[in-house]
Amino acid sequence: MAGAVQSNKGSLRTALLLLTPGLVLLIVAFLLPMLYIFLQSVQDEHQQFTMKQYLLFVQDPYYAQVLWRTIKLSLYTVAASLLLAYPVAMFMARTTGKLRGIVTFLIISPHLISVVIRNFGWVVILGDKGWINTTLLNLGLIDEPLRLLYNELGVVIGLVDSFVVYMVLSIATSLYAIDTSLYKAAGILGASRLRAFLTITLPLSLPGMIAGITLVFSLSMSAFVTPALMGGTSVKVMPVIAYEKIMATLNWPLGAALSFLLLASTYALVALFTRLIETKRYKEVFSS
Amino acid sequence: MMRRIPWLGMITFAVILFVISPLLVVIPVSLTSNNVLSFPPQGFSFKWYEKIADRPEFIDSFIFSIELAVITAVCATLIGTIAALALHKYDFRGRRLINALLLSPLTIPSLIIGIAALLFFTRISLAGTFWGLLATHLLISVPFVVRLTLTGLSSYDYTLERAAYILGAKPGHVFRDITLPLLKPALISGFIFSFLTSFDNVTVSLFMVSPSMTTLPLAIFSYMQETLDPLVASISTVVILLSLVFILILEFVFGLDRLFGSNSQSH
Repeated sequence: MAGAVQSNKGSLRTALLLLTPGLVLLIVAFLLPMLYIFLQSVQDEHQQFTMKQYLLFVQDPYYAQVLWRTIKLSLYTVAASLLLAYPVAMFMARTTGKLRGIVTFLIISPHLISVVIRNFGWVVILGDKGWINTTLLNLGLIDEPLRLLYNELGVVIGLVDSFVVYMVLSIATSLYAIDTSLYKAAGILGASRLRAFLTITLPLSLPGMIAGITLVFSLSMSAFVTPALMGGTSVKVMPVIAYEKIMATLNWPLGAALSFLLLASTYALVALFTRLIETKRYKEVFSS
Repeated sequence: MMRRIPWLGMITFAVILFVISPLLVVIPVSLTSNNVLSFPPQGFSFKWYEKIADRPEFIDSFIFSIELAVITAVCATLIGTIAALALHKYDFRGRRLINALLLSPLTIPSLIIGIAALLFFTRISLAGTFWGLLATHLLISVPFVVRLTLTGLSSYDYTLERAAYILGAKPGHVFRDITLPLLKPALISGFIFSFLTSFDNVTVSLFMVSPSMTTLPLAIFSYMQETLDPLVASISTVVILLSLVFILILEFVFGLDRLFGSNSQSH
């Protein structure tokens, strides 16, 4: 007995020793900094407690506007990603072997290259002298360049490009798990293709869609590089103004408060969304 | 049902084109002889490649990015693997809490991680130093390694270790001949993931670099905010071609979908 306790203590010591580097890193580079900026966000210049940074959000409509724009652009990104990703995921689920591997590779691999370079490519495509505008001008379809960049459209295009891959992979994973004999059964029972899609594919891919929506929404809410490079000075979103407060105006308490507001609103909206979906699903289960 | 509907394939093709086109257009633009950014490019020259040499900050930052990514990958793989081993092998109170804590940086946007680190590191005089930058890169890489190693360990059979001990093997031998080979796929994935996380990162580095120490993506980012000319295209083309070689090696040796598939939910 004594031996067992001894070895337990010994193994606990080994475990703690192995965990130490990771935990030290976590505390120094993450937990303490998060605590520190939270304290900063509720302090004034003289280290006194204040809520004025957060109250500014209610008093000054500018910040509410920026938050609303951030949410709106994230929702557009989610909607566009969902529409583009679902057919791709279905295609991937219906093919097997080599072709599925190639499609997966082609969807994933461009994302291994920095978002900065991808955004530069979009500037080349969408700019006033870019590929689309030059082509349309040469064809005589338009008289002056279309504004495709440095506005909300440009930001959404950039964000969809960055995050659509997460939606594809999330939906595809749930589609792969569908038992194909369900389709055979539906066919035997005389269900049309549309009906089979609506009663089998769509409901069974719901978990993947929820995961994809949550992921793409959270990523879009906190995206900084794409709005900064493709939104220009006119499309300010929360991450961009938080960056400006920290780096340009050096108003750290306000920058910290904006960070927490962004975090809180993202979590709240994701929680609300999952809640709504879950309640709806329970109702469906219990009513049928 | 098994018959393929052509429009699914067509949409898939369009989406692939959509995600690849920003990289494809960069290459012809880099070969222009024009002084401004325009598409289609006019003339043909390598002058924008020659101009890279005039801007040492891009070459320096490229070398620095690689160094940083290698150091990050080595340290993150080590820290993450031993943490995952401890979490998997030993049962102790607070194990699940520590597991959740180690993965928690993944749930916070990197922008906020960067802001928090900048403010706190300024306080403890770590801001703008190499150690500060390395710490944040490790912070965002280690959770990937922990996850990958835990996934790799989920099928790990401890009876092999026990058998080795019974047969009289020393702990060092057991680790080298049993634990390490079985963990190899997870270690390699973790290393590659950490390398890419560090090499491509902009949002965290943004708050951590100093004028004398900057990473390549950030050098391009800063340059792009001031000037838009074909120089960005030539630098990007070099990076794209190098990445392409790297990606193809990864694909042939490991298979990218396996590498990514296990991590699609973790951002």
